[in-house]
Amino acid sequence: MSTLLEVNNLHVEVEGKEILKGISLKVEKGQVHALMGPNGSGKSTLSNTLMGHPKYKVTQGQILFNGQDLTPLKTDARARMGIFLAFQYPTAIQGVTVANFMRTAMKARFGEAFQSKEFRKTLKGAMASLGVDESFATRYVNDGFSGGEKKRHEVLQMALLKPQLALMDETDSGLDIDALRTVSEGVNRLRGPELGILLITHYQRLLNYIQPDAVHVLVDGRIVRSGGKELALELEAKGYAPYEKETVAS
Amino acid sequence: MLMVEDVRKTAWERYESLPWPVRTDEEWRRTDPKLLPALPAGEKPKEGAFQTGWETPAPELIRSGVILTDLATATKQFPDLVQEYLFQTGEPGQLKKFVALHQAVAQQGLFCYVPDGVKVELPLRSWIEAISGPAIFPHLAIVVGKDSELTLVDERRSAPGAAEPVLSNEMAEIFVGAGGRLRYVHLQRWNSATTELFTQRAILEKEAQFLNITVGLGSKLSKANVETLLRGPGAHADLLGIFFGAGKQHFDFHTLQDHQAPNTFSDLLYKCALADQAELVYTGLIRIAKQAQKSNAYQANRNLLLSQGAKADSIPMLEIEADDVRCTHGVAVGPVDEEQAFYLMSRGLSATESERLIVEGFFEQILKRIPVGDLREQLAEEIVTRLSTHTETGKETLT
Ligand SMILES: Nc1ncnc2c1ncn2[C@@H]1O[C@H](COP(=O)(O)OP(=O)(O)OP(=O)(O)O)[C@@H](O)[C@H]1O
Ligand SMILES: [Mg+2]
Repeated sequence: MSTLLEVNNLHVEVEGKEILKGISLKVEKGQVHALMGPNGSGKSTLSNTLMGHPKYKVTQGQILFNGQDLTPLKTDARARMGIFLAFQYPTAIQGVTVANFMRTAMKARFGEAFQSKEFRKTLKGAMASLGVDESFATRYVNDGFSGGEKKRHEVLQMALLKPQLALMDETDSGLDIDALRTVSEGVNRLRGPELGILLITHYQRLLNYIQPDAVHVLVDGRIVRSGGKELALELEAKGYAPYEKETVAS
Repeated sequence: MLMVEDVRKTAWERYESLPWPVRTDEEWRRTDPKLLPALPAGEKPKEGAFQTGWETPAPELIRSGVILTDLATATKQFPDLVQEYLFQTGEPGQLKKFVALHQAVAQQGLFCYVPDGVKVELPLRSWIEAISGPAIFPHLAIVVGKDSELTLVDERRSAPGAAEPVLSNEMAEIFVGAGGRLRYVHLQRWNSATTELFTQRAILEKEAQFLNITVGLGSKLSKANVETLLRGPGAHADLLGIFFGAGKQHFDFHTLQDHQAPNTFSDLLYKCALADQAELVYTGLIRIAKQAQKSNAYQANRNLLLSQGAKADSIPMLEIEADDVRCTHGVAVGPVDEEQAFYLMSRGLSATESERLIVEGFFEQILKRIPVGDLREQLAEEIVTRLSTHTETGKETLT
């Protein structure tokens, strides 16, 4: 096994306020790590930081992707290296169709290897396998999409951009039961020895579909516990209260 | 009806008696009149040269009375028709001195006429090309008769290689008869040595429909006054504008949506993207007369600032005398949305590519309403090219 993502003692500030207070995490190739934690604990801050959002300032620590330090790299460079963020709240881009957007994104990601002629077919195929209606191709990116449509659209992009590391930020929330199954199956099809996934979720139900190799609990900017899949069940039964006390005590 | 020769005479007197604009005039507060080339007082200015051009309408259209030709030829061949419409839209509210000068001296331009009850199915095309300065006075007249239909794509450009400074002082007069339908696309692509003063007056009769798409890409300075008079009940106007400015381009636009009759409708949307140190000043007046009950008037101006040095200033104005009307106006000015840029970049698009896509998307709402497919694509491409040249020069100055 080789390490895909290594985060060492990561401290992150947003608008002058420290949100992540020393996070360490190691994701091997082929692994799925689930990240759980109460609202406002810093899960999206971590995924945004890994993707290089300019608002999130790394004040201490290190992010290594395939052994390379990511901190000096801009968002687009990280994306072209194979990092993908499925957004918790995808942004609408009026006037830009999904097809135009995906064509541009695939060109950026694959460069010379992008098969322009095959694009329509590839897009159609990916949409069909995720239960996304064909009419999406001509709709504007996330514009007027329902909550569930937005999440499917994120997974559609993931399928087309074939990342090495996928940061999936609450891709399950807003999905109905059938959609959750379709989307999880979609993600499982992408799984393989190369792909690593950081799966942010509030619900252990998703972990029944996508089996994690590890579960981490993030509370107030720190990982307070890591364990196997059974940790998710325990969290569901007891909530985060015990850990919140722990952090107060420490 | 005013006789053309009388109009010219009084216009010249008006031109001579009106003062040259100064910065303290409300109309010139945001555009320094010193930026205009000086014109001599007491004598008619020296005229430069321009060429008019058009695609000849199909023979069956000509047989049914459709005219598209240059103004001088029209004046010779159809003197009564030209007399009926030339300088008959009344006095505009702005650029009065320059309109007076235009009326005193303008002899050439384009004349487009569709008689009552004729539907011109395919778009017609015309253009005016500036050749030399110091000043040109092109005139455009479009007449769409009762229950007639016309789409006209009309371009302003500079002759290839022309570099001498030109002041274009243009007036466009548009008449849409009862039940008539005009779709008029105005493409402004003057070169960067051109200063433009542009006045447009459109008169819409009962249930006339007017789609006006103005695309402004060129010129060094463009000051325009676009007035739409909804004179007949049920008249309908969609007034759309796309503008892209870079370098030190300066746009100063004024619009008037003048509702004079009941049940009239106007919807204005001007979108402007500005790079480098380009500037836009927009003032828009909605006027609803007492008798224009049950009218709807909307006005929106949205501006995207692509660099820190770019500036947009937008001022809506209302004069509403009727009480049973609907009226809204909105203004938005801001840089490219950071979250949108992050979303696109998170898919591998560079900052430049992200900006390009966002700008394309910004204009799409209006571009998609351009009634000619190949033109729509050509314009989208042209905007992208302008955008990439601006980003490249921007990069050059950085290094
Ligand atoms: N862009 C930002 N601007 C200001 N504050 C921010 C920003 N991003 C995050 N924060 C703050 O950082 C803290 C952590 O937020 P974050 O979005 O990371 O939480 P989360 O764990 O993803 O929560 P949720 O489960 O609700 O999605 C919150 O207090 C939030 O208000
Ligand atoms: Mg979150």
